[in-house]
Amino acid sequence: MAVYLLGLAAIKVLVLGEMRPITIVPPDGRAAAVIAPLSWTYFYYIAVFSFGLSGDLAARQSIFPARMFALPVPTRTLVLVPMVYGMATVTALCLATALLARWPWGLDVPLLSPALLAAVYLAWTQALMWMPYGLPGVRVIVTVLWLVALDVVALLAIHFRVSEPVMLAILVPQLPLAYLVARVAVARARRGDVPEWRVPFAWLSGLPDAPSRGRGSFSSRETAQAWFEWRRHGRSLPVFMAILLPFELALLWIARGAPALVVEILLGVLLTPPLMAAFAGTSVSGANPHARDSYGVMPFVATRPLTSAALIVAKLRAAMWSTLAAWLLVLVAVPVALVLSGNWPTIVERASRVVDVFGMPRAVVIAVLVVAGLLVFTWKQLVQSLFIGLTGRVWLIRSSVVAALVLVVCIGPVAQWLADHKRAQAALWDALPSILALLVGLKLLAAAWVAVRLQHSALLGEGTLVAGTACWVAVVFALYGVLAWLVSGPLIPRYFLLLVAILAIPFARLFAAPLALAWNRHR
Amino acid sequence: MATESVIHVADLTRRFGARTALDSVSLSLPRGVVYGLVGTNGAGKTTLIMHILGLLRAESGTVRVFGHDPVADPVAVLSRIGYLSEENDLPGWMRVDELIRYSRAFYPRWDDGYADELQGAFALDPAARVRSLSKGQKARAGLLVALAHRPELLVLDEPSSGLDPIVRRDILGAVLRTIADEGRTVLFSSHLLDEVEEVADHVTMISEGAIVLSAPIEAIRQSHGSLSAAFIAHVGRDAMHAVTS
Repeated sequence: MAVYLLGLAAIKVLVLGEMRPITIVPPDGRAAAVIAPLSWTYFYYIAVFSFGLSGDLAARQSIFPARMFALPVPTRTLVLVPMVYGMATVTALCLATALLARWPWGLDVPLLSPALLAAVYLAWTQALMWMPYGLPGVRVIVTVLWLVALDVVALLAIHFRVSEPVMLAILVPQLPLAYLVARVAVARARRGDVPEWRVPFAWLSGLPDAPSRGRGSFSSRETAQAWFEWRRHGRSLPVFMAILLPFELALLWIARGAPALVVEILLGVLLTPPLMAAFAGTSVSGANPHARDSYGVMPFVATRPLTSAALIVAKLRAAMWSTLAAWLLVLVAVPVALVLSGNWPTIVERASRVVDVFGMPRAVVIAVLVVAGLLVFTWKQLVQSLFIGLTGRVWLIRSSVVAALVLVVCIGPVAQWLADHKRAQAALWDALPSILALLVGLKLLAAAWVAVRLQHSALLGEGTLVAGTACWVAVVFALYGVLAWLVSGPLIPRYFLLLVAILAIPFARLFAAPLALAWNRHR
Repeated sequence: MATESVIHVADLTRRFGARTALDSVSLSLPRGVVYGLVGTNGAGKTTLIMHILGLLRAESGTVRVFGHDPVADPVAVLSRIGYLSEENDLPGWMRVDELIRYSRAFYPRWDDGYADELQGAFALDPAARVRSLSKGQKARAGLLVALAHRPELLVLDEPSSGLDPIVRRDILGAVLRTIADEGRTVLFSSHLLDEVEEVADHVTMISEGAIVLSAPIEAIRQSHGSLSAAFIAHVGRDAMHAVTS
């Protein structure tokens, strides 16, 4: 990170020189080059210093490493060392970034309060993560709620433009408070004191798991494996949504009387499942804490008498259940919240405007397409990285993460550059069909390679491969038909819509997943 | 006793970087025998077993189980094998009854009566989470799901490592019962020589990735007096401490 920041400073001084200054309001895409890697590094530090990378966040027990309890040191030392190291690290990170923003970029940002805020967030995360709780999952809820509350205080302070000394006066006392809470938490964990709050909820354990079809036998080994995947990963997304939705929908009460804000809140709610799915997707395809090699396949799973393709299908099915459960929550909660908050007439009025513009049939198709598209997008987010994560190759997984981060870092500055240069926009618009055609060519090449490999390895039968390809072609043409019907105009040629449809429906990545798993399962 | 090979390994070599884990290993397991695999830690026993299960791909040489390549056709091989590993990585979030319900779906020959009998004999609480079980109870739960489908081949990789004598007795008892089922085969890896000597018909010793001795237990007793003496003669006295501790 230090090298990256120094590199940015060198580029500014040696290459860019004088240029239009970066602004925070309105937001400037170039700032993403600093904000994105800074945020990832900060969240990584939080995960490292709170021991969240190795602990079970959903467990009742403290996630403070139990092996450290045997060290011949007092509890205060056990607590102080990771807290001080963590605070020093995040403070240094924020100070270095703030200094870089001031010079050479010339951005007037406060120096101390952001660094202190970062340290306070870390300290409270550590304290709340190390606390034993009486119920599974409570750790995440308590930590999220407390950090959101802290965030609200900080945002209000920024909104009312409080001075730097006042900001420091708000933040500084929280560090010793967080330390005291952390010390109590670790002391309790060290003596094995875990509260028991499960008795009132004992009746819940009698409820059947939704997709497991009660307590009877599984109809097939594939169904059993899909249940296994659902229990292991599938519930994360619905749980994330159940935690986030109340907070998001509560904003509807605040936004009453402001139709534009209501629409923005609804858009945020509808985009939450795919966003959360991107996080949940890392666990579906990724590291396995139970395997000797953290990226390997658990021997328990690898020795199931199932083909690698069947193991993948189980993951896809569990991801589908997960998507449906998450969206069921959204589709039930949103209308209820709209009615109760008194915003239903606002939405009806907006919908009638859409009907006036497009006509009833098109408006209905658009609505169905949007919901279906979001459902498919959510599912895709859950499963699209299977072909990387399941390889179990650390170098490949880390390279893909770095490539994705680089892409995200570059998007902001490139978008800003395009926004600032009209001629570049025109050139891009002219070249767009060629770019899409190139991407389609690459996608089809990758698909052909995957199909040949699947046939050679006998992981999929020829019939399955042909049927899968036929389904993909049918879905592509169905989407193309709908797009052609919806978007008819001289500006957008039909072949352009076909290219979009081909790119939108995943093929190579999904069919590559059995290859990835087989490569990992049979090393 | 039939002579058909259940496992046939020919000239299997495996390297991890510069280290040779298996060096031209060849062996053949006839049906209906208890086959003991002994060696020190790191000798190559688990690597060999992982090849038999298809978890490692043969870089050089061939592995056939029931006549099938376990990598190319895992279903044909794994549906006829019961496997219990030293690590015993049963999912901690499962309850014992869920583990049984899940496991039975994979094996058409799952024997509910036998599973109930084992559950009772091992005193496994069906409502208990696997993560809350002791190491010995986890081993028993793993043994239950490995045995209840009455596999044609039972593979036990250091099953009693770190366990108390009562659990070891359960495991040995299960091996003996499996032997009693006609035509079943057991591949039993262990560093506890007494244990292997008690149940094995045939013993193979591995040292530094190579087979140093492979013979029927009676032949070993006749030639060396005991399995321990044979181990000292072929692997070394220093290694003896590692396998008996």
